[in-house]
Amino acid sequence: MAAKSALTPGTAKTLKHNKWGSGEIKRHLAFLTMLLPGLVFLFCFSYMPMPALVLAFKRYQLATPPADYWIQNRFIYSLFIDNEWVGFSNFEYIFNTPDAAMVLRNTLGYNIVFMVLGLILSVALAIMVNELRNRILAKVYHTILFMPYFISWIIVAYVVYAFVSANGVFNQWLKALGQNTINFYSSAQYWPFIFVFCNIWKYTGNNSIIYLATLTGFDQELYEAAAIDGANKWKQITNITIPLLTPTIVLLQILAVGRIFNGDFDMFYSLPNGSGPLKNVSTTLDVYVYNTMKSGAQLGLASAAAFFQSIVGFVLVLTTNLIVRKVSPDMAMF
Amino acid sequence: MTSQTHATPKVKIVKKNRDMNEISNGANTVLNIVFIIAVLVTVIPIWVIIVASFTSEKALTTYGYGFWPQEWSVEAYKFLFSKGSIIGTAYKNTIIATVVGTVLCVASVGLYAYPISRADFRWRRAFTFISFFTQLFTAGTVAFYVTCRQILHIGNSIWALFLPLSFSAYWVLVMRSFYKSNVPDAVIESARIDGAGEWRTLIQIVLPLAVPGLATVALFAAISIWNNFFNCMLLVDEAKYYNLQYTIYQTLNNIRFLREMASQVGALASMVANLPSETFRMAMAMVTMGPIILAYPFFQKYFVKGLTIGAVKG
Repeated sequence: MAAKSALTPGTAKTLKHNKWGSGEIKRHLAFLTMLLPGLVFLFCFSYMPMPALVLAFKRYQLATPPADYWIQNRFIYSLFIDNEWVGFSNFEYIFNTPDAAMVLRNTLGYNIVFMVLGLILSVALAIMVNELRNRILAKVYHTILFMPYFISWIIVAYVVYAFVSANGVFNQWLKALGQNTINFYSSAQYWPFIFVFCNIWKYTGNNSIIYLATLTGFDQELYEAAAIDGANKWKQITNITIPLLTPTIVLLQILAVGRIFNGDFDMFYSLPNGSGPLKNVSTTLDVYVYNTMKSGAQLGLASAAAFFQSIVGFVLVLTTNLIVRKVSPDMAMF
Repeated sequence: MTSQTHATPKVKIVKKNRDMNEISNGANTVLNIVFIIAVLVTVIPIWVIIVASFTSEKALTTYGYGFWPQEWSVEAYKFLFSKGSIIGTAYKNTIIATVVGTVLCVASVGLYAYPISRADFRWRRAFTFISFFTQLFTAGTVAFYVTCRQILHIGNSIWALFLPLSFSAYWVLVMRSFYKSNVPDAVIESARIDGAGEWRTLIQIVLPLAVPGLATVALFAAISIWNNFFNCMLLVDEAKYYNLQYTIYQTLNNIRFLREMASQVGALASMVANLPSETFRMAMAMVTMGPIILAYPFFQKYFVKGLTIGAVKG
């Protein structure tokens, strides 16, 4: 900014009014009206729900809104007054259920696997696309590999059904080989692989875009110099490409750590098709919150799980960022 | 090294080295093979669905799913388009939600990102933070549900399908960098000297320059609304407001459950026989993802460009 202003004399002066002249007030009013629609959306769907987090400390049974609900819009305040405070008992209850360990294991386990595998594969894909000699082919490959990102999880659930159902592709193969068929929808042991495969299938192409964009921006002279010094392709990748990519990798991983207690609800919910025997391997925190909420149990319980998810995620992203800033200030997100 | 690059002979060497620096024939072949396998793994699952939707019901029951239809048939599609009502309402809801939601999203994101990209807007940091904070901290599903149902009263209506998705803090940050890097200060400055107000500057000068960025926002907003399933499941009760994704999810769910039961309880077998056939459901999946697959080659050149803007930090 400063550099640009210096290039055009006069700009610096006009762009940096220090007094509130009438023109300045008018301009700021214009800016504020531009912000208004976005602020309304942010307020309605991001900030207004925040006070409802206190439900985690309440006993709350959701009632259908009465006919005169417009008058009852003191809802936010009623949260603090009407319902019984129960302290941490909602948290105690959910952490003492036998499901708690299973849900945490699934949430963290899947997310860590997705993070690590996803990172390796998407960086590898970006480097491979970059190295391919035929640029047109590289573009075609990448365009195709990117496509699954735009296909909804429900369609993926159909695809999975076509492969693993009673007369799906896999069972046809087993039949052809003279083996017994497998009922995948009641065999939990296969599903961790199915979830991991589907996650990689859907997201790798998309995740590699940012790495690819960063890669192509690197100074080619570095590679030329390395080649002159006798570094082979592999050495160039490990000694130039990866170190230069590290800031981007770190930035994206900070964000991923913040989402470690969130999961792909659509995937874990829709792929198993509501099959009971798969609950042990498909219930992540998001799914647990949703199921608890829909089970008709008091809303405070689901709210406690959601509260845990929000707060821990927030603390995690702040902590990771703090650590990164200590180690290497340039790489921190904020 | 760098001081010598201006000399002509050195340039030649550099050029020669660039050729040397390409991967070897062998490595290139290996890479191509890896890519062809990856492409097949990506495309075959979709292909299986397409094939199933064009297979006759009898062949699908007898031979199961495969890579080539044992018996071609367009019966499923004929059935689908004749009984429009099953999927027609869902299609209508999805299209309305996608169009209205996309317009709202482009407008609100485009407008919000502009002032916070301007160095002479005094509160740009505060408003950037208001948007960015929602990326770091969310109130969660229960709070969202309670707010939509009890305060905003958008539950069980078509509003639920697009309003919560009509703004995106992530795309605000992307658009902010886009304005910063693609709209020169000098252009804005000259508009001001000509006496144009901020709104006029935005509409007549800045927005035409921001079309690639806004197109990317539009595409991603449209796809996120088209593909959304969670909000519909969470907030909508009546079938007349269902969108496509939720409708086809329910169909798949019902059929699997009944098929499993039917193998145990004989009486259910007749019920299963009356359910929408398997090819019919695959045809439903096809018309749900069809528009996206068909539009994909046309819009993909935009989003690669648009996404790379997001890679710019700050």
